[in-house]
Amino acid sequence: MKVHRYRTPAEIPTASMADIAFLLIIFFMLTAVYSTNRGMEFAFPKDDPTQTNVQPQEAIHIKITGDGQYTVDRTPMTIQQLAGYVDQKMKQAPDKPVIIHCLPDVPYYTMIDVFDVMRQLKVKNVSVPTQTEIERWRFFGYLE
Amino acid sequence: MRLFREKRVTASIPTASMADIAFLLIIFFMLTTSFSPVKTSVDLPESVERAEVEQNAAIVAITAQDEIVFSDGDNPGFNVNTAYDLAPHIQALVRSMPNKQFVIRADRAVKYAAIDAVLDQLRRNGARNIGLLTEQKRPKG
Repeated sequence: MKVHRYRTPAEIPTASMADIAFLLIIFFMLTAVYSTNRGMEFAFPKDDPTQTNVQPQEAIHIKITGDGQYTVDRTPMTIQQLAGYVDQKMKQAPDKPVIIHCLPDVPYYTMIDVFDVMRQLKVKNVSVPTQTEIERWRFFGYLE
Repeated sequence: MRLFREKRVTASIPTASMADIAFLLIIFFMLTTSFSPVKTSVDLPESVERAEVEQNAAIVAITAQDEIVFSDGDNPGFNVNTAYDLAPHIQALVRSMPNKQFVIRADRAVKYAAIDAVLDQLRRNGARNIGLLTEQKRPKG
């Protein structure tokens, strides 16, 4: 006598596939949005006596006097003019140092704007002196 | 006379995907909490050029209200009163890891004096590798 057996066909459960996919999408969306771990690199000079320091007299001196107000080598300029000026100088002397001197009351993003321009122009030698250094330079008469 | 019986489908709420949804929410909250040891909300400045900063770099956050929050990158951040109070923490980190990166996560509207004070402390206490966190700026035109 034959007993009828029901055979369940072999099947991979795919119902939760969409959920898993969603989950992965959300994971990657989150990692892209939430990790603001990119920015601009900034290196202080090493405390190495053999290394030459920036000579303030030879450098391009960018002074940020206010929101979007820049004075480059004592000439007031817009950010576009500033970029053009620095680019031209870099073509003549690629190792020319650039000093970004930011006045204390200026909003931070203005300094970042200038710093960004220097990075875009691939300026190798950017120096952002601290207030203490500026005072020292002023003392020695390098700055006005 | 009844010809045929109506088949009744029993009413049910599909709960099979419930676990997935729960998982999803768990992962959501895990991600949002673990990625930032410093949870201050700041409106970062924008730049075109951006480079990846190091994983678990120390973070100095400066809010628009000039509050300073410091984290060594592994532990949750804590408030410090002035930039001057950062000195012992920076020294301790630099002593154990001389190439430790310090990331400044400052609000775009912060006055430069606050940034300068922090940079000055970092420099004096031997930090050499600094990052300034920014958002991506879309080039105009």
